[in-house]
Amino acid sequence: MPENPTQPGFLRRGGWLLLALPLWVFLYTVNHAVSEWIAFRLLGLTPKSHLGDAVAFLFYDTPKVLLLLTLVVFIVTFIQTFVSPTRVRDSLSKRRPGLGNAFASIFGIVTPFCSCSAVPLFIGFLRAGVPLGVTFSFLVAAPMVNEVALGMLFAMFGWKIAAIYAGTGVAIAFTSGLVLGQLRMEHYLEGWVQDALNAPVLGELEDEQITLPARIDLAVQGVKEIVGKVWPYILAGIAVGAFIHGYVPATFMASLLGKSHWYSVPLAVLIGVPLYSNAAGIMPIVDALLGKGAALGSTLAFMMAVIGLSLPETIILRKVMRPRLIATFVGVVALGIVLVGYLFNAIL
Amino acid sequence: MLIEVFGPGCAKCQVMEKHAKEAVAQSGVDHQVVKISDYAAMASRGILSTPALAVDGEIKVQGRVASSNEILALIKG
Repeated sequence: MPENPTQPGFLRRGGWLLLALPLWVFLYTVNHAVSEWIAFRLLGLTPKSHLGDAVAFLFYDTPKVLLLLTLVVFIVTFIQTFVSPTRVRDSLSKRRPGLGNAFASIFGIVTPFCSCSAVPLFIGFLRAGVPLGVTFSFLVAAPMVNEVALGMLFAMFGWKIAAIYAGTGVAIAFTSGLVLGQLRMEHYLEGWVQDALNAPVLGELEDEQITLPARIDLAVQGVKEIVGKVWPYILAGIAVGAFIHGYVPATFMASLLGKSHWYSVPLAVLIGVPLYSNAAGIMPIVDALLGKGAALGSTLAFMMAVIGLSLPETIILRKVMRPRLIATFVGVVALGIVLVGYLFNAIL
Repeated sequence: MLIEVFGPGCAKCQVMEKHAKEAVAQSGVDHQVVKISDYAAMASRGILSTPALAVDGEIKVQGRVASSNEILALIKG
C-alpha cells in the first residue's frame, strides 16, 4: 500500500495489542457479575421477575456483544487484508461452472464486501469472464455467510452452530448460482451493463503490497469503522432481545417458530426479508429466540433472510438486472433458505 | 491535478470525498476534486470495489477509505 506518513513503529503497535488483550479478557470475565450487580443490587430489581430478567439481559448482553464484536472484527479484518476482490476475480475467471460455483461460494465468505460495491464487482467479474452463475454464487454467499456473523455465532453458540450456518450458506450459494447459471438469463441484464461489458477498460489498480504493521492498522481501522457503525443496530437488537427474554412467554415463541408447525420456516423468512439489520445486531435476537424455544432451523432461516436477502441490496442490484432476473434471484435464494430451515427442523 | 473519488454514495464514499477535499486544502494548491457515482464510468475504469480514488486518471486506492494524509502524500507523490 502507499506509505502512510503517520505510521508509528511496529513495536509500539505490538505493545498496544499486548495491553488490549488482557483488558479484553478481564472485561469479558467480570461482565456477568457486573450485570447482575447493576440489575439486582444497584437498581434493586427482583431476580426472576420480568423486568429484572430483561434488565439483567440488557446489561449483560450489551458489553458481551460489543466485546465479542471487537475481537471478531479485528481478526476478520486482519484475515481479509490477504484477500482482495481482484485476486478472487482472477482466480474465478479461469473456473468452469460447478467447481467455479464452489470456489465462488467459499470466497464469498472471506472477501471484504459491502453492498454498495455489489454493482462494480458484478460487472468486473462478468467482464473478466467469470460466468453469470458463478458470479451469482459469489453474490449470494458474500452477504449471506457474513464473516462477522460467523465469528459471532462461533463465539456465542459454539462451533457446531457456526459450522451449520457456514455450511448451509455455502450450499445455498452454490446451488442457487448453479441453477441461475443454467437458466441462461444473460439477456435479462440491463442494456447499459451489456454495453459496459464490451467497452474497453482504461487500466486498473494492481494489487497493493501490504506490510504486516499496515495489516494490523487496517484491522484496527476496521474495528473503529464497523463497531462505530453497527452499535445502534446492536442496541436495537439487544432491546428486542431483552424484551423477548423478559416478557414473551416461551410457549408463544415455540408455537410460532417451533419445529412442529409447517408454517414456522416460511413465516421466519417472510418476517426476515423486509427487516434490515446488521449481522451483529441480529445476534442478541437469535440468542433470545433460541432461549425461548424457537427451533434452530426456523431461527437460522430467519437470520439468513435478514442478513442475506436485504431490501437495500436488492434495490442496488436492480440497477444491473431486469425485474425478471432479480425476481428469479430473490426467489431461488429464498427457496434455498426455506429448505435449509426445514432440513434443520427435521434433523435436530 | 484531477482527483476523482468513485462511489455510489454510501457512507464510506462520502468520507473518502471529505478526506480528498481536506488533503487538497492542506496541499495549498487548487486541485480539482470530482465525485463520480455513475456505475458505467466505474466499470470502464476497472473498479471492482468502492470507494476508490484516482489521481490524474490513475487508480490509486480501491475498496477502502484512505486518510487525508495518505491522499496528501499521493498528491505530492
